Amino acid sequence: MSASLDGKPRNGRLESFTYDDGIVKLFVIATLIWGVVALFLGVTIAFQMADWHVNLGLPWTTFGRLRPLHTNAAIFAFCGNAIFAGIYYSHQRLLKARLFSDTLSKIHFWGWQLIIVSAALTLPFGITTGKEYAELEWPIDIAITLIWVVFAVNFFGTIIRRRERHIYVAIWFYIATILTVAVLHIVNSLEIPVTLTKSYSLYAGVQDALVQWWYGHNAVAFFLTTPFLGLMYYFVPKAANRPVYSYRLSIIHFWSLVFIYIWAGPHHLLYTTLPEWAQTLGMVFSVMLWMPSWGGMINGLMTLRGVWDKVRTEPSLRFMAAALTFYGMSTFEGPLLSIKSVNAIAHFTDWIPGHVHSGTIGWNYMLIAGILFFLVPKLWNTELYSKKLAHQQFWFVTIGLVLYIISMWVAGITQSMMWRAMDDAGNLIYPNFVETVIKITPMYWIRAIGGTLVLTSFIMMMYNFWKTIKNGKKEAPVVYEAYALDSSSIEHDASAHRKLEGWPMIFSVLSLIAILVGSAIEIIPSLMADKYVVKIDAIKPYTALELYGRDVYIKEGCYLCHSQTVRPMAHEAVRYGKVSNAAEFVYDHPFQWGSKRTGPDLARVGGKYPNMWHYKHFFDPREVTAGSLMPQYRWLFDSKIDYKTLPKKLEVMRKLGVPYSQEEIDNSVADARAQAKMIAEDLAQSGVPMKIAEMDVVALIAYIQRIGVDYGSIPEEE
Amino acid sequence: MSSKDQEQDKLLVHEDEKHLLLDHSYDNIQELNHPLPNWWNTIFIVSTVYAIGYFVYYQYMGGPSLREEFKKDFTEVAAVRDHFKKQNEIFNPDHYQAIVADDGLNKGKAVYELNCMPCHMERGAGDVGPNLTDDHWIVAKGTPDTVYQVVFNGSEENGMPAWGQLIPKDEVYQAVAYVMSLKNTFVKGKEPQGEKIEE
Repeated sequence: MSASLDGKPRNGRLESFTYDDGIVKLFVIATLIWGVVALFLGVTIAFQMADWHVNLGLPWTTFGRLRPLHTNAAIFAFCGNAIFAGIYYSHQRLLKARLFSDTLSKIHFWGWQLIIVSAALTLPFGITTGKEYAELEWPIDIAITLIWVVFAVNFFGTIIRRRERHIYVAIWFYIATILTVAVLHIVNSLEIPVTLTKSYSLYAGVQDALVQWWYGHNAVAFFLTTPFLGLMYYFVPKAANRPVYSYRLSIIHFWSLVFIYIWAGPHHLLYTTLPEWAQTLGMVFSVMLWMPSWGGMINGLMTLRGVWDKVRTEPSLRFMAAALTFYGMSTFEGPLLSIKSVNAIAHFTDWIPGHVHSGTIGWNYMLIAGILFFLVPKLWNTELYSKKLAHQQFWFVTIGLVLYIISMWVAGITQSMMWRAMDDAGNLIYPNFVETVIKITPMYWIRAIGGTLVLTSFIMMMYNFWKTIKNGKKEAPVVYEAYALDSSSIEHDASAHRKLEGWPMIFSVLSLIAILVGSAIEIIPSLMADKYVVKIDAIKPYTALELYGRDVYIKEGCYLCHSQTVRPMAHEAVRYGKVSNAAEFVYDHPFQWGSKRTGPDLARVGGKYPNMWHYKHFFDPREVTAGSLMPQYRWLFDSKIDYKTLPKKLEVMRKLGVPYSQEEIDNSVADARAQAKMIAEDLAQSGVPMKIAEMDVVALIAYIQRIGVDYGSIPEEE
Repeated sequence: MSSKDQEQDKLLVHEDEKHLLLDHSYDNIQELNHPLPNWWNTIFIVSTVYAIGYFVYYQYMGGPSLREEFKKDFTEVAAVRDHFKKQNEIFNPDHYQAIVADDGLNKGKAVYELNCMPCHMERGAGDVGPNLTDDHWIVAKGTPDTVYQVVFNGSEENGMPAWGQLIPKDEVYQAVAYVMSLKNTFVKGKEPQGEKIEE
């Protein structure tokens, strides 16, 4: 029997054990359920961008509230559950050990589902931190941390109880994932609560932007890439029944990937007020990342050497091969988009969501499908219901995705060219932003149709698995045998890295160091804020009413379609006004620079239009801007300003370093009422009833009218 | 032999790679040890050298910063814009007459409806912006040249954009022609604002 395990003679104790596949089944089912929810939400918001009526006029169905729900569902619910399913299945087998604790596994599963449900019960109601991909409020942040710790204990506990001396490359990637996600989540979520459902980020402005995109970028890296590479390293050789192409490449690309990836966050902040050295680091590390990323693709695709005929017939291999191909495509596109001159064109446009979806649909969805086609028949001890349906599904998702990517390339580049077009007199050829939106609306329709195909494909897979699982046969759990770890498995003449693979805890510490180096070098200087951002006296904190209005802005997710940063480019200075300065944002907890301009930038919108213009615009944007895509925000006209929270809000802001005096805190309610009354009096001249002074829309107008005013009114130094 | 052994037997290893097969096995997954592809190595090294060179040039060797490049670009654009503005912001009565003669009123109505109506409403009744049909004026004085100034340069404190930078010059003239036709039509709308101008 000993020879059947690893071919080497052993003198240790032979032990019997079983694997916990019940927990894997639960995570598989959760993956399928949340997957369809995430895709349905995606299709919904895609149609909302093609036609504003689809927002339905209700607060909780409007784009700004649903978009965070879509991204959170896709990343943390769909991909998250798939990661846990795949890791729990492979981890046990790669280590010849049952998961550390069945109880922890169950807490992990139900805890994670509860977090997802609480996201669904908060985000549509405007409970959000306003930080992309980290929108969940502080109580849920704490829950995520606790459940992640449960996962980590279960994971590392299994490693401790392993019966395999060395850890396989899949586990290297799992380790990097677990440690890095913990670091990212905790550092980016530091915030001070105001109420149970509201908090302010510890960081402000440039610093908040840096931490947020260090997190945001590495959520892609360490939630959507490294765990999936780990899964790829297990499931591709398994499904192909082929040895992995190159162990040497695994080592080099693993270490270079985890070391380099963490530095690349600032490529989301090119041309902003982030210090240029940090921007340049973000760009050059992204360029260097190209080959380490492709290392994974090569190892995956070359493993398929000699079995390409099976790629045509086996759904699992077909989806995996497509996933690796799209992975290669999007990890080429990523570094390309990080080059400053390309980024100047692509940033804030639809090219970026196109890029993101070639990763999330092309890589994550396809790989998950490949894994599930391998796993579901095995777990339920039966055959796949229909290969034909699986192949049809493949074409639906592929065509849907290609429509998505191409329409977004066309939309992004077209719009970007229109934004910067100037005539001989130095005037913008398309001065009205809405002209550039109307031009690309057909592309939004094509994207929505592509998305619908992707959703349809997923439903086909659910049906396929439902029929498969119904045919499942119950079987007593298989009992495996292996020797307990003892000195006989130590390879004395092994290479240094091979030895390291036998010391998983040292391996973990080294990978933690690898991700901390770049993080520290980029983030620590920003904590010394005095030198990092030169303050300007003219920039004052928001008034109480403006602060409240800012929270309305965050609640409605305005930052998802409007940026607040004028880049140093001639056409932006002509279109929007004075280029942004880092000092403008020192009181912005959290920052609201945004990442997409579905609508125009708002960094200099304060004072640009009369109050009445905004009043009409929030009621129905098309009254003042014909052809606008923006939803109506009519509920802001009858939801009352919650004045009593103001002193607490200002107090928390003061704790964060915003210089509010005690007097300002004590008088915050009266001051806010007075400012609201002034705005209402102005609106009353156009016949608006005075009771509007009590409503949220007035606070939002107060905030909008303040944005960029302090810095904008300083005369240009020359 | 257990079923697992049979599975291992089926592992497909090509003749030309047998010597690369390592003595690793994890749940029957084995590893070859192909050397790193040359093109992969080369691109990785080149991209690293490029990265270092790029960083050193822009951070330590005086490569222009994004801000400096912007200032250079914007100075040029600003000069062109300034020149254009000086050329066109002065009201030309002859040109105005020529525009009016060339169906200016109807063309101006179209320009008005596209650009001005969101704030000044239909037939100049006023809402966000002032009523254009009364005999009160805030900045302009009710004459074509003063109206032209406000349309061309805008009025920042009143939220009126500088249309001279947004639409062609002739459209500004056409809009002025239409606005002049609204004067003293006293359409019911926003209350008069500014000073009364007697004629």
